[in-house]
Amino acid sequence: MCLAVAAGIGLAPWKAGAQETRFADLVGPGAVGAVTATAPLQVPFITWGGDMATFYANGGLTTRPGSLFQKQNLNLRLVPADDFIQQVRDYRAGKTPFLRGTYHMVGLASEVIGSDPRTKGVVILQMTWSAGDHLVARDNLRTLSDLKGKTVALQQCGPHVGMLDDVLRSAQLSWNDIKVVWTKDLTGTAEAPSEMFRKRADIDACFAITPDMVGLCGGLANTGTGAEGTVKGARVLVSTAQLSRSIADVYVCRKDFYDANKEMVTRFVAAYLKACEEIVDLKRQYESAGSPRYKELLQLTQDIYGKKTIPVLDDAHGLLADCTFVGYPGNVAFFLEAGNLNGFEAFQKSALDLAVTRGYARDRMGLFPSGLDYQSPLFLNLLTKTQVERGERFRAEAVRTEIEQLSAGGGLDDRTILSFTISFEPNQTEFSAVQYGAEFQRVVETAARFGNAVVAIRGHADPTKTLLDLVKAGMTRGVLKRVGTQGNYSYSINGKPLDLANTPELTRLIESGAFDGVPDNNPRETMQAALNLSRSRAEAVLNSIVDYAKGKGITIDKTQIQPVGVGIREPFVAKPGNMDEAKKNMRVEFRIVRVAAEASKQADFDF
Amino acid sequence: MNSNGVRRWLAAACAAGLSAATGSMAQEFQDNVVIVLDASGSMKDPMPGASDGNKMAAAKIALRTVLQQVPETTHIGLLVFSARGIRDPWVYPLGPRNTPALLEAIDRIEPYGNTPLGQYLKLGADRLLQERTRQYGYGSYRLLVVTDGEAQDQDLVTRYTPDIISRGITMDVIGVAMNRDHTLARKAHSYRRANDSAALQTAVAEVLAEVSRPRSDVAQNVEFDLLAPIPDEVAAAALQALSTSGNHPIGTSPRSGPSARPRVDPDRTPPTAQQPAAPAPPAPHHQRKKPAINITYIVTALVVLSFVGRLFRSRRR
Repeated sequence: MCLAVAAGIGLAPWKAGAQETRFADLVGPGAVGAVTATAPLQVPFITWGGDMATFYANGGLTTRPGSLFQKQNLNLRLVPADDFIQQVRDYRAGKTPFLRGTYHMVGLASEVIGSDPRTKGVVILQMTWSAGDHLVARDNLRTLSDLKGKTVALQQCGPHVGMLDDVLRSAQLSWNDIKVVWTKDLTGTAEAPSEMFRKRADIDACFAITPDMVGLCGGLANTGTGAEGTVKGARVLVSTAQLSRSIADVYVCRKDFYDANKEMVTRFVAAYLKACEEIVDLKRQYESAGSPRYKELLQLTQDIYGKKTIPVLDDAHGLLADCTFVGYPGNVAFFLEAGNLNGFEAFQKSALDLAVTRGYARDRMGLFPSGLDYQSPLFLNLLTKTQVERGERFRAEAVRTEIEQLSAGGGLDDRTILSFTISFEPNQTEFSAVQYGAEFQRVVETAARFGNAVVAIRGHADPTKTLLDLVKAGMTRGVLKRVGTQGNYSYSINGKPLDLANTPELTRLIESGAFDGVPDNNPRETMQAALNLSRSRAEAVLNSIVDYAKGKGITIDKTQIQPVGVGIREPFVAKPGNMDEAKKNMRVEFRIVRVAAEASKQADFDF
Repeated sequence: MNSNGVRRWLAAACAAGLSAATGSMAQEFQDNVVIVLDASGSMKDPMPGASDGNKMAAAKIALRTVLQQVPETTHIGLLVFSARGIRDPWVYPLGPRNTPALLEAIDRIEPYGNTPLGQYLKLGADRLLQERTRQYGYGSYRLLVVTDGEAQDQDLVTRYTPDIISRGITMDVIGVAMNRDHTLARKAHSYRRANDSAALQTAVAEVLAEVSRPRSDVAQNVEFDLLAPIPDEVAAAALQALSTSGNHPIGTSPRSGPSARPRVDPDRTPPTAQQPAAPAPPAPHHQRKKPAINITYIVTALVVLSFVGRLFRSRRR
């Protein structure tokens, strides 16, 4: 997200290598002033796709006749505010009642704005989720767990601070597990993370917005080759395309203004949400058959941001594609839904935790939830897409096919963002929350955070019985010869020792059926039983997680979680020497997996 | 064992099997059994203990009795060769049990022709492999052959049987009132002699009960010392070889058939309760035609000849 926030922080008293600076020091001293100029009312915007709905609703930088805002009797003047610190100063001084940023950015400023009752913040609107922020890494990093001990570059106080916090929590790492290289800017300069990543081999990973990510890797699913400006081996380790509940863009309103003008605030939010409804329809039309009105929006966006930021209209389209609107249903879910792991309370907690633990704030000064009446005619008479029930996020059969093929075909590692495992005992069929509660909680939280990724639950089995059946069947069929006494056996095939050199012959004999047909020792049947049982175990784990979540008041979208049986195909110890080693193979693995876009269901709003 | 005894024994075995194998875990995949039934003319021969005296009557009674008892998680296919007046050999295509349709299918079978067993082994096994692809490799796959004589296409039996077995399909054979054991007795996973009607019923019941027998992936007496001499890499290679037997058609190489790994055709019809379409019956062994000359070659040759002819004509001008 946010070309915006970047530049703003760049003006702050930043110095290379500095640890987090208290936000109050960045903003500096200043008096709290009342909001007096309301015609027009100043509204900040930043460089982000979500702000295109603000432009659309206003018809331009000033409210145009016939625009959505004008129809709500609003008179607004939109002002660029990519400098977030200056935004906070203006907000405090009363030049505008609004702050525009990501939730975590506002969290960093929470102490400054919360220290005076007039400027305490009310989060009045969630605009979007980010789908266009990325953590790019070198090829020695395969999953998030590999970040331990690594050096990561990101912008000081930028929007990726919260994303990194989410990444670390997902991998059960702390900030102390990594080394941070703070950069002055987000993008566009030599002191942006992407440029530092290019220049310094000691930087293992960096955060980047989409254009910079494309410059480093060649694309979301690509790996840099070193040609055409890409960095050899650079690939996206994680993106908000999957970690889709990490960056929430919001508007915040001063408490004094909100209390005095709640209806006006409601009309502002309602008109913005109406703009979202119309834009999602226009965008769909544009992508299928073209849309002059959508093209007008792209033109308006270019006019406002300028050709330096938006050189061609397609860049405006890309800006919009880097975010997903949440609309009316998303706002209802964000502010009102009980047990929403991506809701207001969850973000409040993580944003304030981050602000305080990293030293941006000394005291926890909370924000207020919107408190708007979403059943008000101001919303319901204006909006049409007000269905608040969530549908299934994925096409279940498409997900199953993709995950099964990746799992069997060996392509799963390249799509895995994060993995962790639990163990089970021989013949175990039940997986209770008493035993696995901590892991279930991790799965539930991770699935919620990675809203556009799939959780593959992969059951593994121990191959000891299969190998024993193979040996016994081989001896029964006369394929395998054994000599020696217990504790000192040796095997041979066709008169040659069963060793590495003879492996191709063993494989050939297995494939030709030479070990099959012995009723009591059928290695293939045992292998198949292990495969089936491992699938059943994965399914049992899934059901236990769903029950666990239900007990916590959390609804799980089962299409996001796919049980898979691996059987004996990927043993941790291929030939166990004792029961302890055998038990290492008895495991259920959770993987957060990127899936093809086709596996996702299209919806107007992402919430 | 009388039919009631078989029913009780089978039902108990099935129930115990399911609960012991999976405990509280739900079974999300099917066991699959294709029965290849010999309806050659010799099945009209007398069968000791059969109500109307012949082998086919005994086979029908056994199938009617036993197949009604199999669990719902078992999919059944009944493939018949040489029956009178039946064009589609899949008298009951592989799928969930629909008892009335299944019983009607069994009743229609009348013995008539010869014994092209090899072709039908392949047909039945290929259908199981198709199903294994559809089920992403999960489930179990069993081919039950009920026959009273040696195959006339013995070369195909010899060629296909090891391939079927090496693909992880369990092959059971019941020899019906045969003077000596069937050739497959030494090649299949199990062979049962059914020399009278009751024995045939018991044999079918035993095989079907085996489908849902409890299976564990954990050895009861773990003899790690038996494995100790095997190098780790060799063990890993063996496991890999066992796990990738492939779903390409029997008698073909992996490259010429569908993918060796369980994959799903994205255009395939999603699983429904409908019966899958039965594959076309193979041409009788003695009627198989030589491969036709590819029409593409003929068209290409004609085009080339025409072009060369024009060239000569134009040069002459």
